[in-house]
Amino acid sequence: MVENARSINIVASLILLVGIIYILGPLYLTLTTASHSYEFMLQNGLVWSPGDEFFVNIRRIFTETSIPRQMINSLIVALGDAIATCVLSFLSAYAIVYFRTRWAGVVFALILATVILPLDMRFVTTYQVASNVFSPINALLDATGLNDLIAALFGAPFHMEWSILNTHAGLVIPLLAHGMGTFLFRQFFLTLPRDLFKAARMDGAGPIRFLVDILLPLSRSTFASLFVLTFLSGWTQYLWPLVASSTADMQTAVVGLARLVPDEGAVPDYPLIMAGAILVSIVPLSMIALLQRYLVQGLILSEK
Amino acid sequence: MNAVDTAIHVAAKSIRLADVTKAYGKVNVIPSLDIEFRSGEFTVILGPSGCGKSTLLQMIAGLERVTNGKILFGGKEVQDLEPKQRGCAMVFQNYALYPHMTVAENMSYSLKVAGMTKPERQARVKIVAGMLGLGDYLDRKPGQLSGGQRQRVAIGRAIIREPGVLLFDEPLSNLDAQLRHDTRIELADLHRRIGATTVFVTHDQVEAMTLADRILILNKGQVEQFDTPKAIYHRPASVFVAKFIGSPPMNILPAQGDGSVLRLSDGQVVGEYGLKGDFQLGIRPENVVVEQGMSGGLAAPVRFREDLGSHSIISVDIAGTPVRIATPFGGVVPDYTRLAVTFPMKALHLFDGQTGKAIPEGFGVASKDGK
Repeated sequence: MVENARSINIVASLILLVGIIYILGPLYLTLTTASHSYEFMLQNGLVWSPGDEFFVNIRRIFTETSIPRQMINSLIVALGDAIATCVLSFLSAYAIVYFRTRWAGVVFALILATVILPLDMRFVTTYQVASNVFSPINALLDATGLNDLIAALFGAPFHMEWSILNTHAGLVIPLLAHGMGTFLFRQFFLTLPRDLFKAARMDGAGPIRFLVDILLPLSRSTFASLFVLTFLSGWTQYLWPLVASSTADMQTAVVGLARLVPDEGAVPDYPLIMAGAILVSIVPLSMIALLQRYLVQGLILSEK
Repeated sequence: MNAVDTAIHVAAKSIRLADVTKAYGKVNVIPSLDIEFRSGEFTVILGPSGCGKSTLLQMIAGLERVTNGKILFGGKEVQDLEPKQRGCAMVFQNYALYPHMTVAENMSYSLKVAGMTKPERQARVKIVAGMLGLGDYLDRKPGQLSGGQRQRVAIGRAIIREPGVLLFDEPLSNLDAQLRHDTRIELADLHRRIGATTVFVTHDQVEAMTLADRILILNKGQVEQFDTPKAIYHRPASVFVAKFIGSPPMNILPAQGDGSVLRLSDGQVVGEYGLKGDFQLGIRPENVVVEQGMSGGLAAPVRFREDLGSHSIISVDIAGTPVRIATPFGGVVPDYTRLAVTFPMKALHLFDGQTGKAIPEGFGVASKDGK
């Protein structure tokens, strides 16, 4: 292998080049399309040469569409997803690793099961629950016959309704039921010296003090990488926001972009859509650019 | 505290375990212990892995609860107290330093938790760092230190609170041989200067023999012997202790007494002895005498020899049992394939054939020098 390094390098470079063209080609086409007017596109189709209407199209996004408002929704969803996932995962991994919890193994297995049962698979039931948060309790009371008792005692059965559809909470909360973060933190905690917890106890630090003083600073890069990962996945969510939000001012930017395509008939305003797509991807792109270091650090999962 | 103290002062406390038991579910790790570590004493708990010695240490520390019984520090019951309320500190096997804190922060963390002001903490850190030769490393992180330095930071972290009870959980097992030797000497010196009641867990008999005022030998959660290193070496209370202490360990051979002489299992006579019954005969490798010439004494075909420079270890078979002989320093034993050896009566240890317990002195055979 070593003596062939040169030829292998050339072949590898060629393969990489093809890959880069494959990825960057459509992105370039997005840019050029966004820089032409609708009329120009209607006459010439999608062209590879840049035009001069880019900022006009961007301005139209702000004046003619709900994309800006929807980007704020996206930001709320992505930030909410990232922050809540980080906090919940950190705490649950702490409980699993550092405390002799009964059934800790079973709990961890259930948490991991959410990785192989993603939201897309639990869509219908998740929608049912989101449309009435109390529906599981109602169903349980009905099934156990307790509701007959309540009806006999109070004159009416227990039945409550609370829909979180078309709210920010409704967009975020179902996304949180995902065990990857817990797994990430658990793996990180297991790489730490085993006696750290005991040492802190000997030093007089209780569980909360240990969490804040020792575990939190050590977990910084794990936090950063999980934050970036969940933020990106929250920002690019499509199916759940599409179903869970019914009004334009509750939809996320990705859903809003798709809605820019007219339902039937007319040729879509591709320059406008492409300009919107560029605008919407700026946030995750800058996120990666700024936190790339933490992403790599987090993947190594240890800090020397 | 107006003037800053210039040394570490501890009020050593005695530790008493009263009928302490420990069980994990149905597994009885420690059936019942009733022992006392005297105030200011350096006790080493020695035993094979899984004998319950670390569990015992963690119960003293307050990291594990006792299932039954009481632990008293200087007469005060502490078994239900948190570690910080007991006034004891611990050094862990893998150091367990906080990786993100500097050496100074590591050592002063307990003081910070206890609410001590920063100037006071810094003054204490300075004293302890001076004692341990860590003055130049206070701003480094543990990752930038060598194993020996990390070990000293861990010790500094333990003594900075001036604990009356100092606990060590196999603290030297991660160090290389030379460093282990140096640290052992430093530890002995430190104990002399601080005077805290110290409990040190190890499975290394050299550490036990050199450091301890008294050694507690544990086997399956029970005390085999609790005595001074000298007494443990010269008057082992059981076959277990005899085989555990000494390098190479004591040779044990089955023997029978017929009322007049003591015979090995193949009928060879070891010497005169007045008791009847089955015994286990113990003799330390350095006490076996190699006869000049090949006749007289017990027949001992040689299996192999290890020449250590200062002396040799010769492995032989006596009555079908492997026996190791340590030759005297500087002594030369001819390279024969068969040796004749004798067991001097005063160097023999006799143990019960069934229980393995030492047969008390006064029977004539096992009168030994020693303590």
